[in-house]
Amino acid sequence: MSLIEASSGATNQIGRRSILKWGAVAGGGAALVGTGSYLGVLPGVGEANAAQLSPTNADKTVWSSCNVNCGSRCPLRMVVKDGQITRVLQDNTGDDSIGTQQIRACVRGRSIRQRIYNPDRLKTPMRRRPGTLRGEGKWDEITWDEAYEEIAQTLTRLIKDHGNESIYLNYGTGTLGGTITRSWPPAQTPVARLMNTIGGYLNHYGDYSSAQIAGAASHHYGGWIGSNSFDDAKNAKLQIMFGNNPLETRMSGGGETFVTQQTKKLHNVRTIVIDPRYSETAQNIADLWVANRPGTDAALVAGIAHTMITLGLHDQEFLDKYCVGFDEDHMPQGIPAGNSYKSYIMGQGPDGIEKTPEWAAQITGVPAAQIVQLGREIGAASPVAITQGWGPQRHANGENQARAIFTLAALTGSVGVPGGGTGEREGSFGLPMANPFATDNPVETSISVYGWTDAVERGPEMTALADGVRGKDKLGTGIKMIWQYAGNALVNQHGDINRTVKLLQDDTLCEMIVVIDNHMTVSARYADILLPDTTNAEQIDVIQQGSAGSMGYSIVADQVIEPLYNCKTTYEMMTGIAQKLGVEQEFTEGKTQEDWVRQVIDESRENIPELPQFDELREMGVWKVKGESRVALADFRTDPQANPLETPSGKIEIFSEALWNISHTWELPAGDKITALPEHIDTWEGPTEAKTNERFPLQVIGHHYKQRTHSSYGNVKWLADAHPQVVWVNTADASARGIANDDWVEVFNDRGRVQLQARVTARIAPGVLSVPQGAWFKPDAAGIDQGGSVNTLTSWHPSPIAKGNAQHTTLAQLKLA
Amino acid sequence: MTEQLGFLFDQSLCTGCKACSIACTDKHDLPEGVTWRRVAEYTGGTWQKDGDTFIPNVFTYYTSISCNQCVDPICVQVCPTTAMSEGEDGVVTIDQDKCVGCRYCEWACPYSAPQFNAETGHMSKCDMCADYRADGEDPACVAACPSRALDWGPIDELRAEHGDLAGVEPLPDPSITRPNLVIIPHRDAQPTGTGTGDIANPKEL
Amino acid sequence: MNVHELPMIIFTIFAQMSVGAFVVLGIIQVVARFKGGTSAVDKITDPLLYAIGPAMVFGLIASMFHMNDITNTLNVLRHWDSSWLSREIILGASFAGLGFLFALAQWFKWGSTLLRQILAGVTAVVGLALVYAMSMIYYTLVTVPAWNTFATPAQFFTTTFLLGCLAVGAALMSTIMWRIRKTTSTKSQVSEADAESQVVDASTRVLMTTVLKGVGIASVVLLSAQFIIIALHLSNLAGGGAIEAQSAVVFSGGWFIARLLLVFLGAGLLALFVYRYAASGAPARHLAIFATSAFVLVLAGEIIGRSQFYDSMFRIGM
Repeated sequence: MSLIEASSGATNQIGRRSILKWGAVAGGGAALVGTGSYLGVLPGVGEANAAQLSPTNADKTVWSSCNVNCGSRCPLRMVVKDGQITRVLQDNTGDDSIGTQQIRACVRGRSIRQRIYNPDRLKTPMRRRPGTLRGEGKWDEITWDEAYEEIAQTLTRLIKDHGNESIYLNYGTGTLGGTITRSWPPAQTPVARLMNTIGGYLNHYGDYSSAQIAGAASHHYGGWIGSNSFDDAKNAKLQIMFGNNPLETRMSGGGETFVTQQTKKLHNVRTIVIDPRYSETAQNIADLWVANRPGTDAALVAGIAHTMITLGLHDQEFLDKYCVGFDEDHMPQGIPAGNSYKSYIMGQGPDGIEKTPEWAAQITGVPAAQIVQLGREIGAASPVAITQGWGPQRHANGENQARAIFTLAALTGSVGVPGGGTGEREGSFGLPMANPFATDNPVETSISVYGWTDAVERGPEMTALADGVRGKDKLGTGIKMIWQYAGNALVNQHGDINRTVKLLQDDTLCEMIVVIDNHMTVSARYADILLPDTTNAEQIDVIQQGSAGSMGYSIVADQVIEPLYNCKTTYEMMTGIAQKLGVEQEFTEGKTQEDWVRQVIDESRENIPELPQFDELREMGVWKVKGESRVALADFRTDPQANPLETPSGKIEIFSEALWNISHTWELPAGDKITALPEHIDTWEGPTEAKTNERFPLQVIGHHYKQRTHSSYGNVKWLADAHPQVVWVNTADASARGIANDDWVEVFNDRGRVQLQARVTARIAPGVLSVPQGAWFKPDAAGIDQGGSVNTLTSWHPSPIAKGNAQHTTLAQLKLA
Repeated sequence: MTEQLGFLFDQSLCTGCKACSIACTDKHDLPEGVTWRRVAEYTGGTWQKDGDTFIPNVFTYYTSISCNQCVDPICVQVCPTTAMSEGEDGVVTIDQDKCVGCRYCEWACPYSAPQFNAETGHMSKCDMCADYRADGEDPACVAACPSRALDWGPIDELRAEHGDLAGVEPLPDPSITRPNLVIIPHRDAQPTGTGTGDIANPKEL
Repeated sequence: MNVHELPMIIFTIFAQMSVGAFVVLGIIQVVARFKGGTSAVDKITDPLLYAIGPAMVFGLIASMFHMNDITNTLNVLRHWDSSWLSREIILGASFAGLGFLFALAQWFKWGSTLLRQILAGVTAVVGLALVYAMSMIYYTLVTVPAWNTFATPAQFFTTTFLLGCLAVGAALMSTIMWRIRKTTSTKSQVSEADAESQVVDASTRVLMTTVLKGVGIASVVLLSAQFIIIALHLSNLAGGGAIEAQSAVVFSGGWFIARLLLVFLGAGLLALFVYRYAASGAPARHLAIFATSAFVLVLAGEIIGRSQFYDSMFRIGM
C-alpha cells in the first residue's frame, strides 16, 4: 500500500508543476505553434525512431507495450520520473497510411498506469490459510522459498501418484504477445517449459475465443485458414461481416480498427454487418445492419442460399471444382442420396423441409423480404469479402454456424481471390518470429479447453467418444493440480461460475491450484498458492505483433521500472521451482531472461534478415515493415491439385465425411446433434426455446466491451468510469418490465443472478440481452453477483464437435433490482 | 493576435472508445470526476415488428468534446473573478490564482468544458495541451485517437478544408458561444435541436 | 431538497427577504410620516431595522460556502463590467454596508432626518438592484432554459416582497409581544391585557393595525402574482424541448405541492386572518401568532421553491 501511496503523491506533484507551467505559458504569451497537426518530422518506418517527446520533468521515456488478448498489440512509451511511471504515450512512429501506420493504443493501453499501480496488486507470495475454503479470502504470507518448496513437493507427489496427466495448465491470456513471458499458447509458457523438464502435463486443444470455429475449420478447410486481410476489402464489391466487430474487439489504432475504418474511408466498399447488436462496427462502417437472433446465422445463410440457388446466383463452377458436398453430383462415395447442401436447402434432404426465406425468417427474426434481398445482393456482387467474428461460433451450434458462413463464401465463389475471403475471421500479415524458448510436451493426451472442470470432477470417466479426449481413448486420471498463469478461466471466464466455485471448493478433487498473476483476480481468490508476478513494465521481453492488416512489426518492451513489492518474473519463479526439482540447468540453459530475448531476435533475423539487431531494436522500441495484403487460399484457388487442402478430399468440405462418421459414433447428450452439413440446429437454450420458455424468455450474449480485454483491465478505475458495466436491453423489453435507462436490474436464471445497470437501447434486437463479458464476479452475501459477470449465467454444456464454450447460448429473465 | 485555434472532430470515424478522454486524464493527472474531454453516445430509432420478425431503423453516433475555445466564451463572460481569459490564440485558460471555485462557468458552458477540481477547489479545463503545442506536439487527445478522428489547428484552415458545421445533436446551437469546432458529421448525424434521439450515456458525461 | 446548493438557497432567500423587509419598512416610514407621528414609527420600526442586518450578514456568510477557495474571494469583484455574479456581490456588499450605515445613523441620530431618509432611499434602491442582479445571474444563462425566462426575475421579486412583508409583520408583532412580556415579567401583578394597553398605545395600535392590514393585502396580491408566474413558467417549459421537459418534471410531485400549499396557507389564509383580526382589534397575542405562522409557512415554502429552482437546472448541450 505504501508504494501506491507514494506513487499517487508523486503524480500529484507532477500535476501541480504542470499546472504552474501552463500558467506560465498562458501568462507569458509564449510563442505557441499555430500550424496544423503532426508537426515535426516523424521518423519513417524501419528507421531509428527513439521516443521524441520530453514531457515535463521526465527522467526517461522507455518503450513498453500492452500485452493482453485483444488480437491487437500496441507499443507504449512510458514516461518515468523518480522510478515511477508518470505518463503513458502512444507510438509516435510511422504515419496514417495502411501498412505503415502508427500503432495507437486504445483506451485500455492508455490506462495501463492504473493497471500497474493497482490497489489489487499481489505483493508477496501467499498460501491459503489451512482450514479455510478456497475463495474465503484468508491468506498467510509465505517466503518465495517456502512457495517453491511446497509447489515442488506437491508436483513430485502428484506425478508419482497420478502421473503427469494429472497436472493441468489452464488457459490464460492475460500476458499475450510476449515471447518469454507469454501465458498463451499454454505450450509455450514458462510453466510449460518447466513442466516439460519433469515429464510434461495434460494438454488442451482449442481456446475460449474460437474453439468451435477452429473445430469447424479443421473439418471444412482442413485447418485454420483465416480469411483475407481487411485491407484487401478494397478489392471487394461487397463486404459482409457476420458477428465480426473489429471496432470493439480489436480496438488498436494500428490494428484492425484502423485498417477497417481507413479501408472504408478510402474505398467505400458497401458493407453489411450481421449482428444481434448494433455494434460499433455496424454504427461506424456498415451501410446496412441486419439484426438476427443469436445462434441463427446458419439459418440465415440457408435462407440466403435458397434465394441464390433459386435464382441461379451461386457460383456453380467454383463449387464443382473446389468443393465437396454442394450438390448430389459432388458427394463422397457411399453417402446416401439427399445429403448434399443443395438437397438440404431445397427440401430434398432427410428432414424434407425447404429452407425458404420464410422458414429462415421465423428462426432468425430477419424478415423474408430482407433475406431475399440479401441473397440477390450477395449473388450479384463479385468478389464478396465475407468474414465472421467469434460470436456466431460461441454457441451450442457454433461449429455449424461457422461452417455455414464458410459455405456462403463458397457459394459466392470468392474464396482465394483478392477482394474475397473464406468466411473465416480476417487474416493479416505476420512476421515469422522464432521462439527458441518453447519446448515440446512429452505428454500427448489432450482435453478440450472447456472440459477441464469435467476433468476435475470426473476425469477417469472421460473418453474420446463422449468427451472429446484426444491422444487417448480414456483420460484415466482426474486433474489433481492446476497451474493458472495470467488467466481468469479458473473461475471468471469459464461457464457457470457458481458451479465452478463449488467444484473448486472440494480440494479432495483438485488438490493444488497455483495462480501466478499481477492482481487479486477472481481466479486468484480460489488459489492455494498465489505467486505475485511482475507486470510487463517491470521486465524485458520481445513482443509479437498483433493483427494489423498488411503491416508487420516487432516490439522490444524494455524494463521500465523495478519490480514492485516482492514480485518476481515468472521466469524467476519457474527457475526457483526448477532448482527445487533439480532441473534448473535444463530450464534456464544458463540464460537470463534478457539472454533469451536476445536469442529470439538473433534467431528471428535468420527468417527476417531486415529485422534490426537486438540493441538497435531495443532503442527503436518498435520496428515496422510494410507487408502484403493477405489473400487466403490463393494457391489452392490457382491450382487445387498442386495445393490441396488438408481435408480428407483435399477440397473445401461443405459435406464433411469425417463429421458424418463421428455423427454416427460419438456419444452425445440427449438433444445434442452433429451434422455433416452446416445445418441450422435448434439447441438447448436457443432462440426457438426462448419463444416458449416462460421463465427465461431472453437470450443472453456477452459482447466484448471497451472497458476490458476479456477480464484484463477489469479492475482499472479510469476504465470502469469511462465504460461502466451495463446490460444492454431493447427498449421494448425494458418498457415491458418497467425498466428505464441506468436503472439497476437483475438478470437471472437457474444458474445464477447478476445485478448491474441497464442500458436501455434500440441498439440490440428484441428478446436479446447482452451482458458484456469479462466483468469480475463479485458475489454479495446472498450470492448475487454485483460485478456483472455474464458467466454467472452461462453453462458448462459444451458444443457437440469441438466441446467448446457455448457461452452465448444462454437464456435468462430480467427484472428491476 | 495569432490565429484562433480550434478542434476538428470527424464524427464518422469515432467509435466512442474514449482513448482521447483517458489520454487527457493520464497526461494531466486529472482527479476522479474531472474529465476535460468527454464522449457522448447519441442514439435513437425504432424497431418494426411483424409477427416473429423485426427490422431495425436505428442510428447511433458519438461526439467527443472538450473545450471549443469559443469566440464568445460564456465562461469568460460569467466568471466573476476574470480567472477565465482568452489567450492570443483564442485558447481559454483559467488563472488559478484568481479562481474562487464558484462553479458559475460550469453552469453556463453548454459543453461542460470547465470542470471543478475538488482537490484544488478551483475550476480546471482543457488548454489544448499548451505545453505539448509549445514543444511542437499535438494535444494528447489528438495524438491518442486510434481512429484519427481528432485534429486541431487554426480554425480558418480547418473550416476551409472541412466546412463549418458545429451544430449536431446533442451539441447546442453554435450561435450561443460560437465554438471553434469543425465537425465532419456521421452519416446519421441529427441537426442541433431536432431531439430525435437521446444521450445514451448521461452518467458518463 | 437540494443540499448541494444550500449556500445559494440560504443566501438568495435571506438577501431577498432583507431587501424586501428594508423596502417595506421604508414604505411604512413614508406612509406613517404622511399620517403623522414619526416617533411611534421609529419606536417600532427601528428594532426591525436592526434585525435586517444580521439576516443579511447570515445570507452573505452562507454565500461564502458557495466559494470553494475563500482565499481568492476578493477576486469576485473584478469582473463587474461583465459578470452578473460580480455585480451581485458588489451590490450585496453595498446593500449590507449602506444598511449598516443607515442603522448606525438611526441609532445615533446622525445627520438630519432628511439625510437619513436619502440614505435609506439609496439603500433601498441598491437593495432592489441587488435582487435584480441576483435574478440576472440565472436569467442570462441562455444555456439553462428553466432559468432563461421572465419567471426568474419575477419570482425573485415576488419572493422579495412576500417575505419582506411577512417578515416585517412577524417582526413587528414579535417586538410588541416582547415588550408586553417585559412589562408583565418586571411587574408581576400586571395582567397581559394591561401590559398590552401600556405597550400598545393608541397611535401604536393604529400603526400596528395599518401595517398588518397592509401586509395581509400585499401578501394576497403577491401570492396571486406568484401563482400566475408559476403557471406561465410551467406552460413555457411544457412548450419546449427535451431539456425543458426535464426541468418541468422538477415542478411536480410531493415537494412541489407542499411548496404551493405552504405558501398558499401562509400568504393566503393566514394573511386573511391577520387582516381580519387586525381590523377587529384582536389581542396582540393572536395577531402575533398569526403573523409569525404566516411568515414561517411562507419561508418554508419559499425555501422549497428555491431548492426546486436549483433542481430545475438542466443545461442544453452536453
